[in-house]
Amino acid sequence: MKKTLNINIGNSIILIEEDAYELLTAYLNEVKFHFSKSADHFEIVTDIENRIAEMFREMLTLQQKQVIQITDVEAVIAQMGSVKDFESADDEQEETIFDTQHGVKKLYRDTDQAYIAGVCSGLSHYCEVDVKWFRVLFLVSAFIGGSGILGYLIMWILIPRAVTRSQRMYMKGQAVNLHGFIRNFEEELSNNKLIDRSRGFFVEIIDAIGRSLRTLGRTFSKVLAGFIILFGSLFFLGLLIALSIFFGFWDANPTEYFPLSMVNGEYISTMILAFFISLAVPLIALVLFAIRVAFNTKAINRTVSFALLVIWLGGIMVSIFYITKVFSEFKEEAEVTQVKELKKYDSYVLTVDRSRFFSREDSVRYRISPDKYRGRVILNDMDGPFNVPRNVTLNIEKSNNDKVILTQNYRSQGKDFEVALSHAQNIHYDFSQKDSLLNFSPALQLNKNTQWRDQKVELTLKVPIGVKLYINEEMNRFTYNYDYWSCEGVEGNKSWVMTEEGLKCATP
Amino acid sequence: MIAENTQTQMRKGILEYCVLLIISKGEIYASDIIAELKKAKLLVVEGTLYPLLTRLKNNGLLSYNWVESTSGPPRKYYLLTAEGREILNKLDTTWVELSYAIETSKQLQS
Repeated sequence: MKKTLNINIGNSIILIEEDAYELLTAYLNEVKFHFSKSADHFEIVTDIENRIAEMFREMLTLQQKQVIQITDVEAVIAQMGSVKDFESADDEQEETIFDTQHGVKKLYRDTDQAYIAGVCSGLSHYCEVDVKWFRVLFLVSAFIGGSGILGYLIMWILIPRAVTRSQRMYMKGQAVNLHGFIRNFEEELSNNKLIDRSRGFFVEIIDAIGRSLRTLGRTFSKVLAGFIILFGSLFFLGLLIALSIFFGFWDANPTEYFPLSMVNGEYISTMILAFFISLAVPLIALVLFAIRVAFNTKAINRTVSFALLVIWLGGIMVSIFYITKVFSEFKEEAEVTQVKELKKYDSYVLTVDRSRFFSREDSVRYRISPDKYRGRVILNDMDGPFNVPRNVTLNIEKSNNDKVILTQNYRSQGKDFEVALSHAQNIHYDFSQKDSLLNFSPALQLNKNTQWRDQKVELTLKVPIGVKLYINEEMNRFTYNYDYWSCEGVEGNKSWVMTEEGLKCATP
Repeated sequence: MIAENTQTQMRKGILEYCVLLIISKGEIYASDIIAELKKAKLLVVEGTLYPLLTRLKNNGLLSYNWVESTSGPPRKYYLLTAEGREILNKLDTTWVELSYAIETSKQLQS
C-alpha cells in the first residue's frame, strides 16, 4: 500500500505515488535550476513538463493502470535525460558549482532513529553533533527540576516530524536534487536493517500506546484535551490575574510579606515577570497542544512557536539569575549578643506577650496616637501563609552562679558579613520584666522595608538551682530543651524547678 | 579531454543542422524529431532538444502551430520559416564544403 497524490502537470491531472512524486519533483527542480540561467527558461520547462505529462498519459493507457509509479518516472527521466546530459550539449559549458553534498538545512524530528520522539536525533542532524550528547544533555537536565522533560515536550510540539523523503533530506542537509535524492535512497536501502534495530524499545512502546489509544477511540483523547484546554486556560487566567494583582497592589508593598520579603524591591517586578513567563509559556504550549489534539488544527505557526520558546528560555534565564542573586544574599551569617542580668526572685512566671511596643516612628506610620494606646497594640501572630517562619527560640539552662541572666542572641544572614551584621543589629525584640513576671514577645520585629534574611533571636535564660519557674502553655512553642507535656500539673501555668541536671517538673 | 571536447563541438553543430533538415520535411512534433534523430543514430535525450528548439524559434528559424491531439492537450508542431529555409540552404553548402575538406584531408593522408 502506498500513498498517492494528484498532481497537475502540463494541464493534465495525473495520479502519482508518493515516492514517484518526490523523485519527479527533485528532477523538475534540477531541470528548472539548470535552465534558470537562460532567458527562455519558462518556455523550455513548460515544454518539458508538457512532454512528461504526455509520456505519463501514454504509460497509463498503454499499461492500463491508474497510477504513475517510481519506475515510470525513472523511465521518463531516462528518456528526457538528466541535467548532466544537458550540460554536455550546452553552448556555454560553464563550470557550474553544483553542490550536491550540502543544501539548506532544516530542523525536523528524526523518528527513524528515535528513542522517544526523535527530538535529540533531529537536533544532532541539525547541529552535526553526535546524538548521544543531546540525549545525555536532556537526561541530565531532566533531573534538574525536570526542565529537560519540559524542554523536550516543548520541542516535541514545536519541531515537525520529517515525514517525506525530501524533509528527511532537508533534515540531514542534503541538497534536494536528483543526485542527493538517489544518494539518500541508496543510503536508506543500505541502512534499512540498522534503522529498524536502532528504533529501539521506547519507540515500540510509544507506538503501541499510540495504537491502543487510537483503538480506544479518539474521543477519549479529545475529551482529555478539552479538559486541558479548559483548566489550562483557567489556570493561565489565574496567573494573569495574580500578576495584575501583584502590579496593581504595588502600593500595598507586597515585599512586606514573607516569601517576597526576601527580594529587593528594585528587581522584584522583573523577577515576578520572569517567573510569570516561565510558568505561563509552558502552560500556553500545553493548551495549544491540546487544541491541536482536540481540533486537528495548528493554532499558531512555527515562527510564533519559536518566538514563544525564545521568550520562555529568556524568562527561565532571568528567573535563574535572580534566584541565584537572592541566594547570594544569604551567604554570610552574623550575630550580636546582648547579656542582661535580671532581678532575682525565687520564682518566675514566663508568659508570651502579644502586645508590641511601637516606636514613635511606627505610631506615626500606623496613625496611632501613642497617648491613647500607651504605645502598645495587640498583634495577632497566628501562623499564616504570609508570616515569616518562627524566629524566636528560648533555652532554659542552669546558671553557674547565683545570677539570673538572659542572653539575647540576634542572628541574620547577608551577602557579606557587614550586611549580615547590620541586619542583626536592626532586629527589634521585646522582652520585659515586671517583678517576677517575664514577658517574651512571640516574634521579632524588623524595620519597614527590611528584607527577610532569616533573622532569628535565640534567647538563653540561665537560672540558678532551686529557682521555680511557672511556664505558660504558650511558651512551649518557643522552647526546645525540655518536654512541656511531660509535666503534669494545672492547665495554663505548669511549675518547674531548676536542678543540678537541668529543668525538672516540680512535684507539688 | 580534448577529443571529447571536439566530439561534443562537432556533434552540436551537426545536431542543429540535422534538426533543421528533419523539420524541413514538414510539420513535426518534438518527440518525432527525437525518433528521427535516433534513427539517424545521433543519440540525444529529449531534454536537450527543447532548449535547442526554443533557441532556433527565437532566432526566427522556426515557428510552431498548436495542433489538437487525440489524447490530451494540443501539441506544438514545428515548421521551418522562410528565414530558416534560407539558413538551411547556407548550411547545405557549408556541409558540402566541410565534407569536401574532410575527404581531401583524408586522401592527402593516405
